[in-house]
Order: sequence, then structure tokens, then C-alpha cells
Amino acid sequence: MSTKSHHDRNHHASIATGIGDPQCFKGKGGKPKFKEGDAVRIKNLPDIFYTRCQVYTRGAVGRVTKLVYESPAAEDEAWDNTEKPEWFYSVAFKQKDLWPEYSDTFSNDTVETEFCERWLEKP
Amino acid sequence: MSEHDHKPAPMVDEVSDFEILEMAVRELAIEKGLFSAEDHRIWTEYVHTLGPTPAARLVAKAWLDPEYKKLAVADGVAASKAVGVDWVNSPPTKFGTPSDYCNLRVLEDTPTLKHVVVCTLCSCYPRPILGQSPEWYRTPNYRRRLVRWPRQVLSEFGLQLPPEVQIRVADSNQKTRYIVLPVRPAGTEGWTEDQLTEIVTRDCLIGVAVPKPGVKSNIKLPVHKAVHPVQHGHGH
Repeated sequence: MSTKSHHDRNHHASIATGIGDPQCFKGKGGKPKFKEGDAVRIKNLPDIFYTRCQVYTRGAVGRVTKLVYESPAAEDEAWDNTEKPEWFYSVAFKQKDLWPEYSDTFSNDTVETEFCERWLEKP
Repeated sequence: MSEHDHKPAPMVDEVSDFEILEMAVRELAIEKGLFSAEDHRIWTEYVHTLGPTPAARLVAKAWLDPEYKKLAVADGVAASKAVGVDWVNSPPTKFGTPSDYCNLRVLEDTPTLKHVVVCTLCSCYPRPILGQSPEWYRTPNYRRRLVRWPRQVLSEFGLQLPPEVQIRVADSNQKTRYIVLPVRPAGTEGWTEDQLTEIVTRDCLIGVAVPKPGVKSNIKLPVHKAVHPVQHGHGH
């Protein structure tokens, strides 16, 4: 039995050349579940191997500012699995909702960051 | 004159563990055929041509032309073309850069909203339009603290903002890269695009500073001397 890997390690380059990433996944995310202005809660899922969903956002409620692009989730793409692209959302949180001790004087302050759909739910 | 003065200066002070790791991974990648040594040379040369000037010009153009500003805020990748950056085709890969992607968002400040950019996970940075990130941007210190204590960190850069200005930290954790479009400062009325470009420093584009007439360089951060500095020429 051969131990040589036959995995195509330049798969990503071949689909993105001349188009760009995330542009190469445009139109492949299906119907978006949330829209701009929606309140969303970040799920607190277990991390298996790899994630780009920051722990500081888990369980917090924020608001969708923009539907940004379609792409495979980082959790899949880390293993070169590009089969199921999904919608990505930019979500803004009040600092006070992330860090309870954040100063009341500066309660307008916010953080904005991105999530793929699997991490979001209706609050 | 000391007897050491005839010794030539060393090419590098020290090769770090990360540099050795990079060489090892690079050589393995070349052996595996992921890219060639020639690809690597072309890539390295490309990276050394990059700097913050195109992003500064994008901001200056946006200040002067309301239609261009609308385009920049709506589609940063399209607006980049007017300053000579094609996110897909400028990098020699022809699919953008392997870790920067092709998704620039231009964050527009207002008198009551100030953006500042960080990557809490690593050091994602819009390199095609801004060049290599400064060393401090990559430090765990900046990455961990900016998202949680933004006002304290901005104070360390000399930027203190009143409570009525909302600070919005943009954490580039996925495929979007950000630059800040600051408010055009007073005292720049009638300035040309070239004049305006000069005051939009890299720090202003990251959001840790705001443009000021007369200020054309980044903040000088204090340098702490190494406790155990590398010694040269004393071991013989």
C-alpha cells in the first residue's frame, strides 16, 4: 500500500486564481438566514481542532451591520474543505455587553467583527 | 581606537526561532511542489515594494471627491484600483495574497465615531494597500488589550477622545481587512491630493492616530533596551 498522499494541495489556488477569495465563493452560500439590523446571539459551541470565533463573543448579543461575503467556514477551510460555503456577517457589540466591568462613562463604545452563519442564532 | 573597530558589522544580530521555522517550512513546501524557489523570490520582491502610500492616497481622494468616498466605503477593493492596487492581480499569485484575501473594508470615521483596527487572533493586515504591519501591531500586548481597553491603549499612542466619541474596534478575525478613513482635519482647506496624502500616516490608517496638518510621520514609541543584549566580537 502506498503511503504517498494524493491530496491536491493547490486546490485553493486553482479555484481562486483570477477571481480572488472570497469572491470565488460568491453565490454559493444559499439564502442568508439573517439580515442587516438583526439582533443575533453568538452560540457557545465547542471548538474542535480549529476556529476563528473569538471566545470573548460567545453568548453575547450583537447586531448585524453588514452581510459581508460567502465563504467556507474557517473551521472547514482549515482542512481544505470548500464544499459548503455559508454567509458571513459583520456584527457589532456594545463593549458593556462583552466586558461587564467596562466603564459606564464610555458606554457608547463598540467592537465589530465577523462570524459565519453557523455561529449565530436568534436571541 | 579600540582593537575591535576593524571587525566588519554582522549581517544580522540574531536568527530567531521563527526565522528558522520559516526556512524549514519554506524548504519543505518547495520540495513538495506547493511553490518553487522562483515563486518565493518573486513573492519576496513583491512584498518589499509595498507600503502605506496607496491607502493614504485613497483617503485623500475620498476627502476631495464625495462620489469616490461613496465607492470606497461601499467597495474597498474596487476603490483600490484608482490608487494602483488590484487586490486579485497585483500579487504575483493572481489570486490575492494567501492570508490577506481580497476583501478590503474602508471604515469611515465621523466626528462622533472613531474606528481602530486590530486582529486579536494573529496579525491580519491589509498588506497589498498598507505594506507590512508594524511590529507593535503583531504583539499579544496590543492584540489582547485593544479589544478590551481601547481607550487606555489609544492614550498610550497619544490619542485621547471624549466620551461623546464612540470608539469602534474592528477585529479582523475572518476574511475582511480594514483601513480607517479618518475625518479630514481642520486647517487643510484648499490642499491638493498630494498634500493631503502626506498627513495620512500608517498610524492614521490603522486608527491609533488622527491626521494633523504638519504631522507626516508615525508616533515614535519608546524602545526598551534588551536586558541581555546580543554581544558581538567579544567571544574570540
